[in-house]
Amino acid sequence: MKLFAFLSFLALPLAFAASSDGKEKLTSLAASGNGVIKLNDEIFDLLTAPSRDWSASIQFTALDKRRRCAPCKEFEPSWNAVAKAWTTVPAAQRDHHFFATLDFDDAPGVFQKLNLASAPVVWVYGAARGPYQTGKTQPLKYDFSNGFEAGPLALHLSNHTPVPIPYKAPIDWARWMTVISGLLGFALTIRFIAPVLQSRWTWAIITICTSLTMTGGYMFTRIRGAPYTGADGSWIAGGYQNQFGQEVQVVALIYGTLAFSVVMLTMIVPYQSSPARQRLQIYLWSGVLMLVFSVLVTLFRVKNRGYPFRLLL
Amino acid sequence: MPTAYPLPTNVSPATVANTASLLRIVAFGLISAAAIASRLFAVINFESIIHEFDPWFNYRATRVLAAKGFYEFWNWFDPTAWYPLGRVVGGTIYPGLMATSGVIYNFLHYFNLPVDIRNICVLLAPGFSALTAWATYMFTAELKDPSAGLLAAAFIGIVPGYISRSVAGSYDNEAIAIFLLMFTFYCWIKALKLGSAFFGTLAAVFYFYMVAAWGGYAFITNMIPVHALVLLLMGRFSGRLYVAYSSWFRFVGFQPVRTSEHMGALGVFGLLQIVAFASLVRSHVSSKQFQNLLAISVVTMGVLGAGAFVVMTYKGWIAPWTGRFYSLWDTGYAKKYIPIIASVSEHQPTAWPSFFMDLQMLIFLFPAGVVMCFRDLRDEHVFVIIYAVVASYFAGVMVRLMLTLTPVVCVSAAVAFSTLLDTYIDPTEPEATTTEAPTAAPTTTTTTATATPDSKKIKKAVAAAQAGNSASSIASSTFNDIVSATTRKGKSSKSKGIWGADARLAVLLNAIGMLAFFVFHCTWVTSNAYSSPSVVLASTNSDGSQHIIDDYREAYYWLRQNTPQDAVVMSWWDYGYQIAGMADRPTLVDNNTWNNTHIATVGKAMSSPEEIAYPILRKHDVDYVLIIFGGLLGYSGDDINKFLWMVRIAQGVWPDEIQEPNYFTPTGEYRVDDRASDAMKNSLMYKMSYYRFAELYGNQNAVDRVRNQAIPKVGPTLDYLDEAFTSENWIVRIYQVRKEDPLGRDLKSANAFEQGKKKKRSKPVSKRRVIVN
Repeated sequence: MKLFAFLSFLALPLAFAASSDGKEKLTSLAASGNGVIKLNDEIFDLLTAPSRDWSASIQFTALDKRRRCAPCKEFEPSWNAVAKAWTTVPAAQRDHHFFATLDFDDAPGVFQKLNLASAPVVWVYGAARGPYQTGKTQPLKYDFSNGFEAGPLALHLSNHTPVPIPYKAPIDWARWMTVISGLLGFALTIRFIAPVLQSRWTWAIITICTSLTMTGGYMFTRIRGAPYTGADGSWIAGGYQNQFGQEVQVVALIYGTLAFSVVMLTMIVPYQSSPARQRLQIYLWSGVLMLVFSVLVTLFRVKNRGYPFRLLL
Repeated sequence: MPTAYPLPTNVSPATVANTASLLRIVAFGLISAAAIASRLFAVINFESIIHEFDPWFNYRATRVLAAKGFYEFWNWFDPTAWYPLGRVVGGTIYPGLMATSGVIYNFLHYFNLPVDIRNICVLLAPGFSALTAWATYMFTAELKDPSAGLLAAAFIGIVPGYISRSVAGSYDNEAIAIFLLMFTFYCWIKALKLGSAFFGTLAAVFYFYMVAAWGGYAFITNMIPVHALVLLLMGRFSGRLYVAYSSWFRFVGFQPVRTSEHMGALGVFGLLQIVAFASLVRSHVSSKQFQNLLAISVVTMGVLGAGAFVVMTYKGWIAPWTGRFYSLWDTGYAKKYIPIIASVSEHQPTAWPSFFMDLQMLIFLFPAGVVMCFRDLRDEHVFVIIYAVVASYFAGVMVRLMLTLTPVVCVSAAVAFSTLLDTYIDPTEPEATTTEAPTAAPTTTTTTATATPDSKKIKKAVAAAQAGNSASSIASSTFNDIVSATTRKGKSSKSKGIWGADARLAVLLNAIGMLAFFVFHCTWVTSNAYSSPSVVLASTNSDGSQHIIDDYREAYYWLRQNTPQDAVVMSWWDYGYQIAGMADRPTLVDNNTWNNTHIATVGKAMSSPEEIAYPILRKHDVDYVLIIFGGLLGYSGDDINKFLWMVRIAQGVWPDEIQEPNYFTPTGEYRVDDRASDAMKNSLMYKMSYYRFAELYGNQNAVDRVRNQAIPKVGPTLDYLDEAFTSENWIVRIYQVRKEDPLGRDLKSANAFEQGKKKKRSKPVSKRRVIVN
């Protein structure tokens, strides 16, 4: 028993030496990489060494074009921004947490070892010893439920860093400029566009277009981030409570056509001054109404297979 | 005047008017009957039973109200909910619904009609749907005429978008709220039209009722000010607007207005005072001075008001937007910060099939009706237009807000449809200005004085007509027609009408066909989709007969009969109200969802391994755990499908201990078969769901019919819980939490020891012991 204690006592300075050596290397790597350490097999092992007295956040990604990882590319800037924000922390705390990126093509072995099959993934390795020791050996995973933005990422990682990450979202100058120039342009041209703004039909068009896109399910695609078309190129999503972006357009167009034919029948055709042309238009628009309504019902049957009714089609 | 079909000439105008009003009354009676009858599918197919989740609480509260009176009800503290916290019920609910049924109950009993309170609750929603039809009739009659009103009443009576929340048994706030909404709006329109303080006050009274009945009252709080504001911006300030708005606001202002929802109403009220003052000043000073004065004061007021609003919000004098309200504007907000709100299925965004399912042909008549509102554009039409835009946005964001869209869709579609019918039924034929192509119907060439004022346009049209009947010229002349129709001011002086009977017949037959299709659609949707009580399920046997699945009530009654009165039942919050209502047992969490941490505690217990969950269960005195499992029957609304929300909500409070990715396979799939992740397999929820599931299949593969995955042969074992009850179709499973081991061992090792010693001890024995206990 005593012997063991003695041995470990001997080993302690050695371990410290190893880790402080490695730490210097990591610090310099981080400094040269703008706050992010670029990992390969060897540095990964060093960074996640069991004797580490630092913690580390690691992004596993696949940025190479051949890997076709669009989310990886989307997430990369956020990651770098948060890591950059960390470099502004005083060195005393900064060197207890490292940001690192491991690309699949640099170290496929690590991916295999960790059983990772998807990217991007963010893992946080807690410090195994030292003042910030967490007592957890398993890395913590960051889930992207809040999207790929930097803000939530910094907020989450701050739970694991010695001090909170001083990340501040950059001011979106382009957006402000657009808003300001838009307002200016509006103010300058108001004299000329005032008649348009005062016309009730301008507002009618705006109103109708808004309600058509909304009833076409636009907000669904916005909130759920539904793709424009399916992966296999199909434009209509299966299932009653699901839809693609293109369906919004098709459905809004169908509703619009139907509403338009009703408007034609009630507001335009009666003012027609020639009986023959009026009759022709009445039949035309009635036909359009029936036909497009049938198309709509058919479309609905695709979405809701149990629907028992059909019209002409 | 030439007519398309012969009209009786010997009828006096009085007879016509009397017959019309009689017909209106008869039609309205039929509409009410249809509205009520179509909501009774649920009672006929199943029985007179309260539906779903929230209604069970409302029903329970109403029983308290009916039995103990209003004061007891107001002070009601419910110790069995949110165990061990309890819940102050009186102050945390909208009592309008319960008070309404309480009044009806007492009224009927006063006349010695001993009606059961449950039947009042079940039939309240259908009854109020008839009232809603009446309010919609009045509203639409103000917009156009009584015939449009009748159509609107018929539409809202049977449209599935409203039926979905008001079938018999759906005893929820929305049951009376839509009537209140429409009637408040009607009063407002009427007040605005007449400049009547009486109707303004009436609007305020019904607004109060609405505040007491439904959280959606904020919709009215903001619709009316927005309408007033838009009228101001359109330069339509009038004494009528001033009187109507002030009399409405005078009463609304009594409320605690220090919430952001009410700030708009206050701001518009202030603005109205300024404008009223300004128009007073205008009559005294010169126009130039006035313009300067107005511009300066409006800008100053705007800046000051906005500044004050920001400062007061910042200082905390005004309560900020509530989460539910805020999530309507920033649609990502709820998912990020309040997963409980995002987890509710009726808070999901709406895909287009839902719109069509709920509104069918009304959904495309609706824009046409809005166009017609733009043509007339009186003050009340402006209201409908604003309502249309706002409600269609809201309905897109949240499925449940389809309910607020439905009335305006019905009104607007009725305006469109009745204009269509008016145009094509009207027997008068226009006076033709050309002699070309004599038609079957008699035409006349006499150009009378009425047709001349617009002769230029007519000439143009004639020229266009004579250019030929080729398709291109039709297209271009159609365009001309639209342009001339939109630029026409007010009622045209140009003669208007339809020639011939065949064209009329074509359109009318088409219209009648559409109406009939609409009725079939509504009937089908109502009977198939919206009439399930969801407490009782129905399936169809192979011979087509109906098979009732009554697992919920079976299990709740089991709890009621076999457990002590104070046994605490833990379940996911969806079932809290039902357990309280049907099993009468204390619950940890329920559908009120006011305490996120408590819900997260339940979520944590469900998603943790047994060893971690057990102390949580014991700390909260949990005796029974109830879960819903659909794997045997293929019932998809079960707890395994809701499980990720439990994980997410728990993660929100304990991010270090519960992490969503752990419940997925390494490839990111949500699986329950042998490839399921360890966290998933060890979670209490998984174990309770699939405990002894494979045994049911003997040697065959056990298949979860919801997830379509094979369940491993060797199922999970439970050390800290005993299976107490499993319902006929396995939908409800109840587990009893074991007490600590008397010898002080942890239950796992105690269990192992016992199993090693007594291998023969079979499960049913232990089950019976539980029951005796």
